[in-house]
Amino acid sequence: MTSRKTRMRSYDQGSALFWLLISIAVLARSLHYGTGALRNPGMGFMAFGASAILAILSIGVFLSASFAKDSNTEEALFSGILWKRVLLVVIILFLYASLMPTVGYLISTLLLMVLLFVSIGKREVWQIALISFLTAAVTYYVFSIVLNCQFPSGILGF
Amino acid sequence: MDFFHNVIMGFSVALDPMNLLLCFIGVLVGTLVGVLPGIGPTAAISLLLPATFKTTPAGSIIMLSGILYGAMYGGSTTSILVNIPGESASIVTCIDGYQMARQGRAGPALGIAAWGSFIAGTVSIITLMFIANPLAEMALKFSFPEYFALMATGLIAVTYLARYSVAKALMMAMVGIILGNIGLDMISGLPRFTFGINELTDGIGIIPVIMGLFGIAEVLENIEKTLTTRTIFKTRVRNLWPSLKDWADSKWAIVRGTFLGFFIGVVPGGSGTITSFLSYAMEKKLSKHPERFGKGAIEGVAGPESANNASTGGGLVPLLSLGIPPNVTMALLFSALIIHGVQPGPLFIKSNPDIFWGLIASMYVGNVLLLVLNLPLIGIWVQVLKVPYNILFPLIVLFCFIGAYSINSSGIDLIIMMVFGIGGYLMRKFRYEAAPLVLAFVLGPLMEQALRQSLLISGGSFMIFVTRPISGVTLAIACFLLLSSIFPFIKKRREKIAELEEEE
Repeated sequence: MTSRKTRMRSYDQGSALFWLLISIAVLARSLHYGTGALRNPGMGFMAFGASAILAILSIGVFLSASFAKDSNTEEALFSGILWKRVLLVVIILFLYASLMPTVGYLISTLLLMVLLFVSIGKREVWQIALISFLTAAVTYYVFSIVLNCQFPSGILGF
Repeated sequence: MDFFHNVIMGFSVALDPMNLLLCFIGVLVGTLVGVLPGIGPTAAISLLLPATFKTTPAGSIIMLSGILYGAMYGGSTTSILVNIPGESASIVTCIDGYQMARQGRAGPALGIAAWGSFIAGTVSIITLMFIANPLAEMALKFSFPEYFALMATGLIAVTYLARYSVAKALMMAMVGIILGNIGLDMISGLPRFTFGINELTDGIGIIPVIMGLFGIAEVLENIEKTLTTRTIFKTRVRNLWPSLKDWADSKWAIVRGTFLGFFIGVVPGGSGTITSFLSYAMEKKLSKHPERFGKGAIEGVAGPESANNASTGGGLVPLLSLGIPPNVTMALLFSALIIHGVQPGPLFIKSNPDIFWGLIASMYVGNVLLLVLNLPLIGIWVQVLKVPYNILFPLIVLFCFIGAYSINSSGIDLIIMMVFGIGGYLMRKFRYEAAPLVLAFVLGPLMEQALRQSLLISGGSFMIFVTRPISGVTLAIACFLLLSSIFPFIKKRREKIAELEEEE
């Protein structure tokens, strides 16, 4: 059990370092855009200020996590969760986001629904096919035809 | 005379058949998302925003705000009957509402929740009606320094009311400001942080950001656990009309909840969740029998339910009179008005009386619709709860994609939504809150303009923010909030609320 327990402080240290890196990158970029003078601030002024505060706070969170008492322990963030399922769904969603404008709404949505139902449920094949088809068709009708949203027609023209 | 003329005009707008239909759709969808865990009012408003493009600005805001107060109503049903809050503002209703249901008093619990919400909603609209106009007239005297101070204080108040660390919440606010910088600089007209991507020239859209942070992240968090079927406590829902004793026990809780909810709603960061927790704590403290709380005290349902509904009216005050959204949902309504070419702010009520008074009147109508809808349809809402999450989650995901895509018909918005979805999921894991990020993202460009203009006026002196009375006092409040957040008792109270929310 203790091996599964990890200190929250190490997560705070890690995340604080991540934000520190981001703030440094933004600082550099905003200097490139030019911060201007106080009486005439430039286009990098606001981002410079915000990233400087972000950097200071990141250092503060990092230090406070480093000096936190050991009793501040918590279950490891990704232990006991179905992370493979989360990863699979993320990949499916990214694929859909990338392919939908090219493949078209109807086909890609039908595939998305089938993959999502398969990834999570223990349903019969015909149930998955029916629900996926109905979802794609009904949403297409409501949003594209009734509400006139501009869905991509894709390579097959629908 | 003007006042009555405006009220009549408002009702003529609200009772227009199209607007009435939009109000009905809004409260119906709101109740539905309130009932269903996994999609909150913020995501629902984002989703339905594109559907309002063809309507008038008044119709759009009427429908979207209907979703908001409808969700507050709907959330109580699941809290009482299933011990699962449909949205965060109803978490505290579980404590006594579910106990009442177990004792065979589900009917009075649902009844007092609905009536309390109705009374609080109505009173908050009346108060909004009387406060917003004078405040807007006062705000006409505000200049850039006052606006910057108000927005900065608003952001600090949001971080102050954060569930976890104030430092982390402030970090998220800074990230929001940086993200708000993406796109064309408003003064020079040159692109910033676009990295050569043409679609980013206009900046990142708020809908993909919200859909990612609140829709996709919520789904990912839900599917990481084994999906179990919700068990619904079997009870006959009868006697929806509370008894005279129930009314006697609840009346002051409703009154206190109404005013607390409204005024906390006005304060930046004062969401329905916070008001409901505060109302519950207050009722328990003031009760002659605090030991009854947690065991089915009707005041424990009446107070929080009234408070979370009243907060909706309160939140509209700074949005409509100052043009400053006090929380994420109001930020979304702010964006909706901007998309329709309407600028919320001091001139809003004078320039758009039809929208303001139409919205007010539609909220009266919506509250009546909700009362009529909710009590007889409770059986249907309970059936809706039985829909398994493994059917619900692909639909929520698809609606998020449709919502994000239909704004600009752009594939890049889908990628942006996914990036924020994964980011939002990790932020939840590492205990960084999304609300300060979103609010800062919306306020960032306005703050930048106010800051740069103020410095131009003062010739580069920051003293302009201190020497002007309104901005000076406002910033003093912000400093006090920042400093007080390190007091141990405030830290403990915050941790306690966070623990309670997590347990639920």
